[in-house]
Amino acid sequence: MLAGVLLLIFLPPLVAKDLCKDSQDGFKVRLSIKTGLGDDAYEWNESEMFLFRSTLAYAMRKHSNQDTYTIDNILVCNDTQRVSFVFVVTSTDDPDQLIPKEQVELAVRQNKHRINNAFLLSDMTLEFMGIPPTLSAPIIYDTEPWLIVFGVVIGAVAVGIVALLMSTVSKKRRAKEKAAGLSEEDEGIVKENGTALSSLGRKEGVYNQAFSNDDRFTKL
Amino acid sequence: NATTSDSIKHSPELHQIQPVKLCVPPSGFIRKLPLHNKEARPSWDSPMQFVLACVSYAVGLGNVWRFPYLCQMHGGGGFLIPYLLMLFLEGIPLFCMELAIGQKMRLGSIGAWTAISPYLGGLGIASVVTSMYLCLYYNVINAWSFWYLFHSFQSVLPWAECPVNANRTGYLEECEVASPTQYFFYRETLNISSSIDENGGLHMGQALCLLLAWIIVYLFIVRGVKSTGMVVYFTATFPYVVLFIYLIRGVTLHGAWNGVKYMFTPKLEQLANPQTWINAATQIFFSLGLGFGSLIAFSSYNHHNNDFEKQAVVISLINSGTSVFASVVTFSIYGFKATFNYESCLERMRLLCLNAFDLSEESISAENVTAWISHLNITHPERFAAIASKIEHCSLEAELDTAVEGTGLAFIVYSEAIKNMPLSQLWSVLYFIMLLLLGMGSMLGNVTAIITPLADIKLLTRFLSSESINGLVCLLCLLLGFGFTSRSGSYWFTIFNEYAATLSLLFIVFIEVISVCYIYGLRRFERDIEDMLGHRPNWYWKVMWAVVSPLLLFSLFIFYIINYIQGGTPTYQAWDKDLVRSGFSNITVY
Repeated sequence: MLAGVLLLIFLPPLVAKDLCKDSQDGFKVRLSIKTGLGDDAYEWNESEMFLFRSTLAYAMRKHSNQDTYTIDNILVCNDTQRVSFVFVVTSTDDPDQLIPKEQVELAVRQNKHRINNAFLLSDMTLEFMGIPPTLSAPIIYDTEPWLIVFGVVIGAVAVGIVALLMSTVSKKRRAKEKAAGLSEEDEGIVKENGTALSSLGRKEGVYNQAFSNDDRFTKL
Repeated sequence: NATTSDSIKHSPELHQIQPVKLCVPPSGFIRKLPLHNKEARPSWDSPMQFVLACVSYAVGLGNVWRFPYLCQMHGGGGFLIPYLLMLFLEGIPLFCMELAIGQKMRLGSIGAWTAISPYLGGLGIASVVTSMYLCLYYNVINAWSFWYLFHSFQSVLPWAECPVNANRTGYLEECEVASPTQYFFYRETLNISSSIDENGGLHMGQALCLLLAWIIVYLFIVRGVKSTGMVVYFTATFPYVVLFIYLIRGVTLHGAWNGVKYMFTPKLEQLANPQTWINAATQIFFSLGLGFGSLIAFSSYNHHNNDFEKQAVVISLINSGTSVFASVVTFSIYGFKATFNYESCLERMRLLCLNAFDLSEESISAENVTAWISHLNITHPERFAAIASKIEHCSLEAELDTAVEGTGLAFIVYSEAIKNMPLSQLWSVLYFIMLLLLGMGSMLGNVTAIITPLADIKLLTRFLSSESINGLVCLLCLLLGFGFTSRSGSYWFTIFNEYAATLSLLFIVFIEVISVCYIYGLRRFERDIEDMLGHRPNWYWKVMWAVVSPLLLFSLFIFYIINYIQGGTPTYQAWDKDLVRSGFSNITVY
């Protein structure tokens, strides 16, 4: 009688461990708390495990839209120092039945960001082996940002070129008008060989070798 | 003038005081010209503009991406010895000679060489054709810089992360195998095809950036030296500002000193390798931009008495100084990147061991990873064998030894380092603006080398204004340059970069030196210089021009020819996205 009672009391946890250890429907979970949080890392203990099991139960609830999942439906085994373990999910109707792998995977993928946030971790530091993370979708722009910058720059340059060309054209036109008016003042303007007139405006003048006191020029 | 001399001769008072030296000006020295003389040659507003234009031209991308590589390959600080020696043996003399020719002849390269001897006009034409080749492919680099610059204005730099694959479970495979920066360069920037035979279409983004690059070049040269002279104040000085900012940022990065120390420890045994001396000579030669006709073009706008001798020495020293300065920056960036990769490697190994053996996280730290690996190998050999294939040997020296040059350094290595810096968008923008200014500054010289001889052709200037000629040159180069923006464009770029200018320039400058010293005559050249500067060149210049530089150039030329012959069929590296392991395959080109 006593043996029977004892068996009844200790059977469920033993059966539960077997369900977890031997099962094909379990997932291995690995947490890298120190890597993820550095100095703000917390200790992994029973309470944290309790939180984990409850977030998984929450994920199952959301996925299946049944409010019947409780923390007892989540069985955990193979705890290591790494902070990694295996978990399985039992069905709400029958404690010996396990929820198939695909269902659990879908539930986890749907709610991964909530699970991550509960532990202040990320996809890199809270890993479910065999469940690839869902990466954030690439941002689709109406106009690519680089085209906007390109447009600004090429617009500015085009304006610069047009302004330069217009000023050249207007300078030429003004010069032509001046030439028509001043053509009789051509005589007597002396320029040095080939340099522009503007250079004569310098204060120190231009070194004109014609009048230098150099020895190599002819002596009297 | 004749009457003046007669009166003084016969005037007794002046005879008693002192003999009067009379000056007979060379005929035609002063002549009357009409007010609107179209033949008046434009000139720089000040000698400073000329110096800055030459600095902007000579200091280009080669200083940033070729010299640090050579330094690393040939013994670090020890490479400075052959480099500085070659600077004094061939760099400064040849640079001075080209400036002298331009300033004396006051014509572009074709006109200048034709004036020395009518049979030498071909030398000028060769320079112009080489400049044309360079213009075609060099502006493509500026297009790439623009592409990267515009893509820096995003919250996450596009080369920081791989793009996500179709069902969002992981990253694109091509990007996983390579790295995000390589993927961004080869796939998104170039959209490179797997071989030079596969043309693909034009990459529209690249074509747009090339168009922008040529429009900006046109804006800078549209009025000839008047517009160029304004622009060079900025293009010559701002890169130094950025380099200085990067120097401060670079040496404060974690691990930068590893790189700088590694670079500057001289390995003097490399000096025994003849390749070191050859590379030093060619680097000086190409870095100064000799033989393109740009220096002749720039100095043809100088005043007759401009002191080009001093300027030549100053500009050459600035160019070499910038190379050394840029390599300090580059090596601090290398050090940072190598340290980052080394520490990531250690971290990966640490995680691998932790995960495989389910040890607690505090047991292995980055410092004792290697000790743990050997320990685990001994204590649990079977379990270790399972992960043995994934174990990498992390070595800081191996990371530092990976030397990269060229576009790979500028666009892949640097952007990889930048993405790991805090405030990476700012550093990225600064860096690519610097690359753009260096590239644009050199482009100014290259395009001036083409338009100056064209402006000397009276036939052309009679029918077209100078703005139209400049515009036509830019348009032609743009249209031909579109070929480099196709999907196989990068391979064509490599061909041009390696073969278009190198051999021809050596030959051109060799013939230039021989012509000046032996055909024109060194004595005549000395007299011309005395006419311009007021003193004869001293023995250093004469020995270098007549003997040392021609010998050096001739031996370099022979060495290149031998290399070509012995090298067999040229090969190039192709990026093949179907190859799983490594992105590069060596393909033979026929």
